[in-house]
Amino acid sequence: MFASLATVMVASMALVGCTSGSTTAEGEPDTSLTVGLLATPGNLDYTTTAGAAIPQALLYNVYEGLVKLDNEGTIIPLLAESWTVSDDGLVYDFLLHDGVTFSDGSPFTAESVKFSLERVKDNWTANGPAYLDPIASIEAVSATEARITLSKPSNSWLFNMSGPVGTMFTESGLADLASAPVGTGPYTVSSFKTGDSLVLAANADYWGEAPYMTDVTLRYFTDATAQTNALLSGDINLISGISQFQLVDQFKSNTDFQVLEGASTGEVTLSMNNASDAFSDVRVRQAVMYAIDRQAVMDTANSGYGLLIGSMVPPTDPWYDESLADLYPYDPDQATELLAEAGVSDLTVAFKIPNLPYAVAGAQVVKDQLAKVGITANVTALEFPAVWLDEVFSNHDYDMSLIMHSEPRDVTAFAAPTYYAGYDSPAVMAKFAEADAADATTYIELMKEATTTMAEEATADWLYLQPAISLADADLVGVPKNTPSLALDLSTIAR
Amino acid sequence: MVFVVLRRLGVFATTVVVASVVTFLMLSILPGNAARIALGVQATEADVAAQATAMGLDRPAIVRYLDWFGHVLIGDFGTSTVSRQPIGPEITDALGITVILVLTSVVLALLFAIPFGILTAVRQRKPDGVILSGISQIGVAVPGFLAGMLLVTVFAVTLRWLPAGGWIDPAEDFTGFLEHLILPAIALGSVQGAVLSRYVRSSVLEVMREDFIRTARAKGLGAGRALFWHGLRNAAVPVMTVLGLQIATLLVGAVVIERVFSIPGLGSLLLDKVALRDLPAVQGIVLVLVVFVLLLNFLVDLAFTLIDPRLRSAA
Repeated sequence: MFASLATVMVASMALVGCTSGSTTAEGEPDTSLTVGLLATPGNLDYTTTAGAAIPQALLYNVYEGLVKLDNEGTIIPLLAESWTVSDDGLVYDFLLHDGVTFSDGSPFTAESVKFSLERVKDNWTANGPAYLDPIASIEAVSATEARITLSKPSNSWLFNMSGPVGTMFTESGLADLASAPVGTGPYTVSSFKTGDSLVLAANADYWGEAPYMTDVTLRYFTDATAQTNALLSGDINLISGISQFQLVDQFKSNTDFQVLEGASTGEVTLSMNNASDAFSDVRVRQAVMYAIDRQAVMDTANSGYGLLIGSMVPPTDPWYDESLADLYPYDPDQATELLAEAGVSDLTVAFKIPNLPYAVAGAQVVKDQLAKVGITANVTALEFPAVWLDEVFSNHDYDMSLIMHSEPRDVTAFAAPTYYAGYDSPAVMAKFAEADAADATTYIELMKEATTTMAEEATADWLYLQPAISLADADLVGVPKNTPSLALDLSTIAR
Repeated sequence: MVFVVLRRLGVFATTVVVASVVTFLMLSILPGNAARIALGVQATEADVAAQATAMGLDRPAIVRYLDWFGHVLIGDFGTSTVSRQPIGPEITDALGITVILVLTSVVLALLFAIPFGILTAVRQRKPDGVILSGISQIGVAVPGFLAGMLLVTVFAVTLRWLPAGGWIDPAEDFTGFLEHLILPAIALGSVQGAVLSRYVRSSVLEVMREDFIRTARAKGLGAGRALFWHGLRNAAVPVMTVLGLQIATLLVGAVVIERVFSIPGLGSLLLDKVALRDLPAVQGIVLVLVVFVLLLNFLVDLAFTLIDPRLRSAA
């Protein structure tokens, strides 16, 4: 999967909160919630607009697919009651829930499955329409039975079906995707004002269990301090995925609030342009690995919050290998030796980073540490997303960068030779392809092998994994702790 | 007089056209690709190129300019490349919020500056006058965003009397609207109030030395009455000039204050649109700001002639 760097815009996940003025009648439970988030959706159409902000708000809340990812990262049934897979791994038979309707009243049937998934290829431009490439045909066997046949076995496609591309649409609900989404989910959109707020109301005709919170307002902030101030002053009830960790400690000692620490899929990555003169030699990249004290970077940029991972795999993926965190211990002497071996002296690199707080703070530490082994890194902070995407991501005009890759299972995208990392290993790509078509056990083994090779070849320096930290009113329960997918599932939150 | 008005209108129209060209050119050379931002990092270069064509980004600059400005002249600001909604209503919604914020802060600034300025002038050499004057100096030195953060810390976070930010439409909930307006308006108006009070002070001091005040005193009026009946109107002219200039500054200041307080005004809209390279929207917003400032200057000029009859013949 491709790393959604745009996700960084939404560095902070949805925050759920109640307005300060929301009082309830005697004995009535307060079922309204105001959530503070950091990046606003520009519109509500994730079929043509990238970025994590839209799926964060809408996926699982307004829109649903056949399957979803639970908070532990496991694929569970949603609109599909159950499914079976043929022995050759090619035919998936989904049994659908009966009596499901879209919020405009039209029925959800196997025809909707066929319509929605066939639409992806020609109508979707964002959020990975290629994820559905393995599908050969879709058949509505009956109103509640859908059969999907793949052209080759694929371990990743069902996982991807839990994301935006798996969303079920109705033909009558496509008129205004940008501002009036029509889905089968527990909430509907009442109002949306870009840059300000998105208001959700419980869907009275929801087919499943009604959510506890009946009125949810997602409020958008541009500043992490303004966000935490809003929580402290009672304007909002929840911050899910705080982005500036120095703001966290004040909540730990305050009994009015709870601090939830979970796992995210955001690998903060010191990327090296493998195709550039500076880093085409694996020994130079390895020298960088030894030259960087990742703990020190994490301490500075993240106030010590995070997890050293050493590869592009978070612990929530089955092929996570914790020993990779120790693959390149901090060893400047070793770095100097490797540079000498590679015949490199007085190396100067263009270190182009996005103008985001964690990147600016981390880059300074990296620069100082590289200087100790004789590498001069000229740091330029580029406007994110516009200029960074243009210069670094599209034009590959850089030697080194520092950015968080947020999307789940994005390591395969990172390895593609056309990707901005410029890593070109036919062997690794072949292994990823083999893994995708293999049985479940071999899948995990092969994924582990390929991701380990990438770590050994120092494709990039995966500095640390961003933690998912939520700050909430003390009385909230069921707040999603981890962020295994792009969605912020509001349906579990209660008081 | 007709000629004067026509000349003013001519200058106005020329300024708007020049501003539109400058805005357009500046934004065309801004690095970044709106199509790539829309599609994100998962899209291939071919997808991005197709998207750029769909958004009309690959047309020659002159065609894009004429298409845009031609439509603006008939009141059509076009459609946002990001939200896919008409830009006109987006701008008027946000402008309404910013205007309320700016005008409220001007009123607060004046409510503070006029009495305070007069007091510090009248008590010029007394200890209390010196102290008050010092206070206004501090007010000048504290930037609006810092004042905003301090106000939030005290009144929202610590005392929990007022919300830390956000905006509520007055038609929806008027009390809530006022609660959300008060801190940002004070933060935005504080510096202007302090600056204005300095001008009021020096203006009043100057007027008090004028011959006509001495004449008024000579015919038996007390110092206070002389100042009130004859002095303030004269003292108002330089203050009005500063105020006119300040309103333009306040619009800029509002951009920062809207960020601090998460208010969806024109400043927030502008920054969001620039970040997403929604160029038609950015062009529209900048043009509206230019027209707004020009109109304000025009109104200030008009106000002068009302306050000071001498300026009428001069025109």
